[in-house]
Amino acid sequence: MSAYIMGVTSNGGIPVFSRKKGNCDNLSFSTLGSLNGVHMFGKPSNIELLDTVSDDHAVAWKEFCESLVIIGVASGCSVDVLNRLLQLVYDAVVLIVGINEVKTQRNIERLKRELRICFPVIDRLLDSLDCGDSSNKHSSDIVGYAETVLCPENHLIQIVLDSFTECVDSMFSCILVNGKIAVATENWWSLHIHEIRLLLLLAVTENKDISKDIPVFLPYKSPTVAFRFVACSLISDVQVCCLCGSTPALVNIEQAAAQCFKNSTDILKSASQCVPRNFPNTMVVDSGILGLLLVNIKRKKYMMSKNPQQNSGRKMSSSSHRLDILRTFFYQAIMNTLIPNSKTWQENNVSEDLKTDKLALDESTEGMESYWCSEYHKCHGIKVCDNILCVLYSSATPTYAMRLISKQTLNLLISDKQVCW
Amino acid sequence: MESQRLLSSKGTVQTPDESFEEDWAEESTGSSYYSDSDSTIPDWEPYIDDSSGELLYIDCHPFVTHNKDHIKLDSKSEPFSKTQLRKSTRGKFLRLIRRKESSRRSKKALRPTEEGSEINTQKVKFQDFQEGEQKIVTLEIDSENRYNLSSDKSLAESLLGLIVSTLSDGNRVMIAGFSYDSKAKHERNIKIGDWLKSINNMDVNVQNLDDILQKFINHSEVLLTLQRVAATEVTKDPPINELSVESDFVRELLNTNEDDENLSEKLCSHPLGVIFLDTDKCNEANEDILYFYPKPLKKNILSICRGVFITLNHLLQDLTDTKPRTSSILHKGRLAHIVYTQFEKHLLLYMLPDDLASIKEIVLMNRELINFLEFLYGDLERCFTKNCNFKRLDWLFFRYFARIVNGNKWATTKQFLERIGNPERIFDRTDSFFEELMPVVPTLSLHDDALMQIDDALAELEASDYREWNEDPLDCQRLFTILGSALFHSGYLLASHMIHEDLVEVYNFCKQQGLVHLSRTEPVKSLVMWREVFPRSCRRNCGNDSLNAPDGSRYLLVVGSGKDFLATIMEAGGCTEPPEENMGPDAFYVEEAQATLAHVQELGLSVVAQRCLLANGGYEVAAPTPSPNKRKNDFIGALNFSKPTSPMVLRDSPGSTKKNEVTSILKRRNVEQHLSQEEAYDLYSEESGSQAYSETSDDSGSRRTRQKYDSNDEESDLDEFGGSSQISGSSFDVSEVRQALLSDLGEYTPAQITTGPHNVLYHFVHLDLTEGVLIGPVECSTLSQTYDVILNNFKKCCQNIHGIFQNTLRFKNMSAQEIAKSLMNKSLIAIKEYGTLFECPFLDEKDKKGRVSYWVVGRLFYMPHPKEVYVCYQDSVPQNVVELAFKISLYNKV
Repeated sequence: MSAYIMGVTSNGGIPVFSRKKGNCDNLSFSTLGSLNGVHMFGKPSNIELLDTVSDDHAVAWKEFCESLVIIGVASGCSVDVLNRLLQLVYDAVVLIVGINEVKTQRNIERLKRELRICFPVIDRLLDSLDCGDSSNKHSSDIVGYAETVLCPENHLIQIVLDSFTECVDSMFSCILVNGKIAVATENWWSLHIHEIRLLLLLAVTENKDISKDIPVFLPYKSPTVAFRFVACSLISDVQVCCLCGSTPALVNIEQAAAQCFKNSTDILKSASQCVPRNFPNTMVVDSGILGLLLVNIKRKKYMMSKNPQQNSGRKMSSSSHRLDILRTFFYQAIMNTLIPNSKTWQENNVSEDLKTDKLALDESTEGMESYWCSEYHKCHGIKVCDNILCVLYSSATPTYAMRLISKQTLNLLISDKQVCW
Repeated sequence: MESQRLLSSKGTVQTPDESFEEDWAEESTGSSYYSDSDSTIPDWEPYIDDSSGELLYIDCHPFVTHNKDHIKLDSKSEPFSKTQLRKSTRGKFLRLIRRKESSRRSKKALRPTEEGSEINTQKVKFQDFQEGEQKIVTLEIDSENRYNLSSDKSLAESLLGLIVSTLSDGNRVMIAGFSYDSKAKHERNIKIGDWLKSINNMDVNVQNLDDILQKFINHSEVLLTLQRVAATEVTKDPPINELSVESDFVRELLNTNEDDENLSEKLCSHPLGVIFLDTDKCNEANEDILYFYPKPLKKNILSICRGVFITLNHLLQDLTDTKPRTSSILHKGRLAHIVYTQFEKHLLLYMLPDDLASIKEIVLMNRELINFLEFLYGDLERCFTKNCNFKRLDWLFFRYFARIVNGNKWATTKQFLERIGNPERIFDRTDSFFEELMPVVPTLSLHDDALMQIDDALAELEASDYREWNEDPLDCQRLFTILGSALFHSGYLLASHMIHEDLVEVYNFCKQQGLVHLSRTEPVKSLVMWREVFPRSCRRNCGNDSLNAPDGSRYLLVVGSGKDFLATIMEAGGCTEPPEENMGPDAFYVEEAQATLAHVQELGLSVVAQRCLLANGGYEVAAPTPSPNKRKNDFIGALNFSKPTSPMVLRDSPGSTKKNEVTSILKRRNVEQHLSQEEAYDLYSEESGSQAYSETSDDSGSRRTRQKYDSNDEESDLDEFGGSSQISGSSFDVSEVRQALLSDLGEYTPAQITTGPHNVLYHFVHLDLTEGVLIGPVECSTLSQTYDVILNNFKKCCQNIHGIFQNTLRFKNMSAQEIAKSLMNKSLIAIKEYGTLFECPFLDEKDKKGRVSYWVVGRLFYMPHPKEVYVCYQDSVPQNVVELAFKISLYNKV
């Protein structure tokens, strides 16, 4: 597989950044120039090139604020997903440099330098493309959604987190277990999902074990005024993150964190045991289930599990592909049919009144369930209220039984108040 | 004279040596026709295009607008103008050639009753009538209905079988139509729109008509005096009755060369068009553009920004080793998609806006268009580089895009201008399409007996065994070999003897040319279409060099009548006479095809097909109903689904009455388009009574005498075989066959495909892309709003499912090496079933709230060859798609 993503200034066509994924050559300057050129060519005649699809590849162009063109080339994934990714990449740029810097571009060299900080974030974002490649370490990344973990201790951690939030005088904070949200404050969920997602990536990339204090612009909430994003490591794999203004200092935040959480280290430790199953061991699911993806479409958060069976620890290596299948199923069969208002790839592309393309669903028709049967496995997705559960079954599971099992499993997962779903 | 002129223009056909004309004519099969200068010319003869030999001739039933009943009556009442058809043949064959017609065709020519009628037949056409042409007709009074004067029939209708109304002055009596069982209908001198002047020389008007008729109630015959009324007078008062010879649609079909720059320019404001580029030439002076539409160049969006697509086409191949398939652009805020098709050094770009067709639909439409052009011109390079094509292509593309702008419904220029002049309507989301765009032919599965009859007739046509026509052995070569033929009814395939790929192309051609639409909406009196074509099976064989010096040419002949049309692919060259340049249709073959069609219709097969259509193609389809238990958001409610939710509450719940319910729904749907079953049946049984029996006795007699002549044992064996295949045994009896076919009513009780006590099937599509066959319930515009919403969503969903299945098929066809290299998403390589449950509000009855939940499920079968089945059914009893697919195949006989 291969994926490229690059940013070019609209006016001068100067490359600002370029990232790639997979074992492929770097794009030559001339190729990059041509890719930018075709996009620029149509502009005078009122034509904007959006995307091009070939057998296995998709290329997408997107211009932001009439100043930055982001071009993505990827194999194996749909153009819809690629388009969503471009928006996220742009948001990552704004997160680091702020919208004014992107618009004015006074000093390109400085912009390039500043953007280095978000390269790890962009690289991680590329992992959320579903290339169907099992070498991907982060198959559980879903574009435009935030990953969570359903620890049985979540309700206890929530209480501690609330007191910590008071201490540091911030409304936005959360606890990350292995880079996944265990609990967060209500206000944290009020952030745009792209902001949440990018902050999470910022917290886990590079070194997880040291405290971070990074100035960030929130692309939707405050694109011009910077906040401070602080992430402190509590124990290994567990971090506490918060957004705050110029005060308090990092030292004070670290102290507050140490004070608040010193009595709950045992809870945090046992919570971190929940990974990689990602949901409590006490919940027993049907033996035909190979993988789970639980999505809340309101908050755009999800939980993904590749080892739902308790005794399946040794099959770990082969099970990474399961997440790929589930993710592809979600992208192809769920994201555009079962989730209302997530229209299609045009969501961010087209002016408001022409939001959808023709294949999007009518407002009146609502998808409720969807399934795939393949030679080797079956996927089933079911929606109840705001929750969607996608289940990967072994091919031995009868098609008609999937509905029942999925519904029971969904019920089991979300009825437990302790996990704070 | 017309024929003389033709004779000279067809000099190559004609033997140069005129003195041998008689002898030559005897030997030659088809060309003899031209030597007969004063025999009747076929009606279509003058319409042949001199330069290309192409022909499109449509003779419509004249109809009276603003008088709907009569349109229906008139257009349905004549199954085929047999007399007219045979007349020209008879003239020349009887006079010139001592030939006998083949068994099943001869009877018409030998009918004594017709001899009589032919003598006093003037050739009257609506086009050329002038005021005052007066005719005197003797009409038999219907003895059965003489005293059976019911209140709902006028006296004229029950006695004479004529429906009368008044001319524009409100006083004179006009013939407005014929009753079903009318003998007057077969009287060629009585035409709709005629002024009934007098009966037995007594002048009639509206007031005294009934009184006068009363006087003749006991007579066996009356003498009617009719006068043709000038067209101007008839149309003077359009609200009452307007006589049209052809509809606007037909007029535009026949009009091949009109192109208005204004129309083309109107299209330019939309992001649509097509352009054919030579990628080797550079951009200077626009030399790289070989063809583009819409004109003018400066406003054509594709030509303005072609550089983008040429570069991309190049760039993506360098970058990814794959060719680009589609691009999406935003033009003035409107989304549009472009499809790339590369032919060696040429590149075809095809663009449509998204609000008219989704990207998946556009890809399919592009393929359809290319197939159509290749079928017409052999290959696209030839199509777009011959200068003489341009005007025709412009007109072709104008009508093509006009149709698409009109939501893929055929539109006349007027409708198009209305639509395009109204910017709000153009942005309306149009319907989705799925099976309509697939390279398949919608098929009606008739029962075995009917199929056998059709096969028999087609086989005889294809065999072209004309030995029996002439006692002297024919030693000249044939003009054509018939490669295959296929019979359609209302645009549905009944039987085909063509190679699958050719059949799909022929159907696509008929669809793009509007013939399918024509046969669905306006039954015609007669249709003849002829042109050179390049069927896929023949394209594949010949390399590039053989295109310049073709080994043979193929021609497509389509003859139609009523709702039926018969398509035949003929080959000149090879074992037959070498083809000439721009060969026109040969009257003999056209008549053969027409006679075959007439024979099939006479057997009542179009009634059988019509009945099958009314029975929804033989499959039962349910009407959507809201699910009784309201959707509950709590879990207990949601978990209830495993219990058999009380299945669809059709208005009557018991199973026995349900079937009736469904049929009545079907009838209601069809009531505007079709005759009801009973009517159709009555109509044809009447005909069988009045004509067939007399024919039959004649026919069998003549046939026996001919058999005595035949010394050739083999041939009589064949005849015996033909005879024994009929139900009546040794003698060939059309009416009995027809009776047998028509009485077989039991076959068309629609089959229930879904499991469970009630039918829950809304729609299904069975796609066999290898064989090019599409099976499904008959498409009909419904009165149910909910059903339309469901169907539209079904098609959208099918597009998606079909897209997913393409991955599976692609992977199956990959070699191990390719798999290793491939960048496909490995999670998509083996999907064989894909289903989605939808909910939509119930829209039909305001007071009945609730939601309809239904499944759309697609299943891919790849053994023995890929087939796809898509079903849409109500969510109640779990259905097994494999089982459904099995049942569909079981009920289908094709």
